[in-house]
Amino acid sequence: MARIIVVTSGKGGVGKTTSSAAIGLGLALKGHKVVLIDFDIGLRNLDLIMGCERRVVYDFVNVINGEATLNQALIKDKRVSSLSILPASQTRDKDALNKENVGKVLEELGKSYDFIVCDSPAGIEAGAMMALYYADEAIVTTNPEVSSVRDSDRILGMLASRSRRAELGLEPIKEHLLLTRYSPKRVEEGEMLSVEDVEDILSIPLLGVIPESQAVLKASNAGEPVILDTESDAGKAYQDVIDRLLGETVDFRFLVAEKKGIFSRMFGG
Amino acid sequence: MADASIEFKGTSFTLSVLHLKTSTLADIRADLVKKVAQAPDFFYLVPVVVSIEQLDCSVDYQAVKTLIEEFNFTFVGFTGSVDKEQRKLIRELGFSFVNTTRVDTSKKAAIAEEALATETKVTPAIPECNLYTDKVHRGQIRSGQQLYAKDQNLVVIGSVSAGAEVIADGNIHVYGSLRGRAIAGAKGHHKAQIYCQNLEAELVSINGNYWLSESMEQHWGSPVYIHLTDSELTSSKLI
Repeated sequence: MARIIVVTSGKGGVGKTTSSAAIGLGLALKGHKVVLIDFDIGLRNLDLIMGCERRVVYDFVNVINGEATLNQALIKDKRVSSLSILPASQTRDKDALNKENVGKVLEELGKSYDFIVCDSPAGIEAGAMMALYYADEAIVTTNPEVSSVRDSDRILGMLASRSRRAELGLEPIKEHLLLTRYSPKRVEEGEMLSVEDVEDILSIPLLGVIPESQAVLKASNAGEPVILDTESDAGKAYQDVIDRLLGETVDFRFLVAEKKGIFSRMFGG
Repeated sequence: MADASIEFKGTSFTLSVLHLKTSTLADIRADLVKKVAQAPDFFYLVPVVVSIEQLDCSVDYQAVKTLIEEFNFTFVGFTGSVDKEQRKLIRELGFSFVNTTRVDTSKKAAIAEEALATETKVTPAIPECNLYTDKVHRGQIRSGQQLYAKDQNLVVIGSVSAGAEVIADGNIHVYGSLRGRAIAGAKGHHKAQIYCQNLEAELVSINGNYWLSESMEQHWGSPVYIHLTDSELTSSKLI
C-alpha cells in the first residue's frame, strides 16, 4: 500500500510546493517509487519547481475526465527515474475534481508507487479538501508567524473532521509539522515565533525545520528542487526530513543563529 | 353548601429541627440550658421537630416531649429516617411523625445548627450544578471549530486554539491552554465558571458578561478560574 502524504498549510506562500518537490525528489533519491500530484488546479506551479513545465501534455483533469490515461499524463523525472509528476490543469478550476474520480486515480497510482505526495492548494475550499481527503499522513507546512500558525491550526481541524479517515472513523491522519523559512537570528531578536512557540500552539510532532535560505528561490527559478543543493542549509534540512519520514531519528539542525567569529566581527564580516 | 367553614391545604413551613445525638436525658437537658440561655426570646414558643435519626438506640419519647416543653418550645413531633417499628411505636404513643425529603445526615445537622443560630431557611433545594452532566472532549479544539455542551458542563482535555469557540450551558474546564473563546452559562446561569490551566483567551463570557483579552492582564498566562461576583467577572488563580 502506498503512503498518501498531503502537503498542506491553509495559508498560501508558506512553501507547500517547494516542500512537496523537495520531499518527492528526496524520497525518490532514496530509491522509493514516488508520484507527485499537483492539486492546485488553475494555478499550476509544481511543474515549474520540478523543471518539467515544457513536458506537460496531459494533466490531472484530463485523467479525471477520461480524456487521457494515467500513463499519458504522468511525466517521468529526468534526474530520478523512480519519480513521476502528475501536473495540474492550468485552464480549469478546482471544481473540475470530484472525490470519486480522484479516489480512483489514487487507487490506480497506489498499485505501482510507494509514496503519493499531494501538493495542496492554499485555502480551505474544495481544492484543499480534495487534496487532503484521501491522505494517510499530512505535512502541515507553517511559517513561524501568527497568521500562518493559525491557518495551520484550522487545517489541522479539517484533517481531523473532513478527511476520509475521519468520515469512516479510521485511525486519524498522521500529522507532521514542517516549519519553513525559519530564521534563528530573528527568533533571538524576538521578531519571529520560535520552534517551541509553534509546537506549543499546534501540539503536533515536529518533522523538520527548514531555515530561511537564498538557495530556495534560486532552486525554484532553476527548476531544481532545493534538496539537490546539498551544500545549502535548506537542502540539508530537507534531507533530514526525508530521513525522519523514513523512520530514522535525526537531530534537528539550524535552530540557533551562527555566532560570528572574532575576525568577522572585527572586520564587519 | 357553597362555602365550607374549613378547608385543608398543604403548605410548607420552615421548622426548627432538634437533632438528638444521645438518648441520655440529662445530657440533652444540660445542652438545652446552654443553648436557650444564648437567646431565650428567640426560642420562646418556637415549634420544634425532634430528629432521632442520629440515635443508635431507642429513647423515652414521652420524656423527650416533656423536656422540650419544659424549655417553652412547642413540640410538633418526631422525624428522622428510622425503621417502621420505631415509627409505629411513636404513633402509638400519640405523637406525630414528620417525614423530610432530605437524606444527607451530616449536611442536615450542619444546616439545622445554622438555622437555629441565624434563622436561615432550610428549604431543601437541589444544588444547581446537579442539573448538569459533563461533555468531555479529548484533544485540541482547533481554530474555526466550535463545541457546544447543551445543558451540560464542558470538559476539554487539551487546548482551545485561537479562533476556536467553546460554549456550555454549565461550566467550562480546559485542561490545557485557553486561547480561543469560552462562553459559560450560555442559557443564563450566573453561577457558571470557567477553569483553565493557561489563560490566553480572546474572550471569556459568563451569563452574558464578557471580557476581552485586555481585561485578563492580571492573570494572563496563569492557571485561573473565572466566575461572577455581583454581575462582575472575577478571575482567581487556581494554584
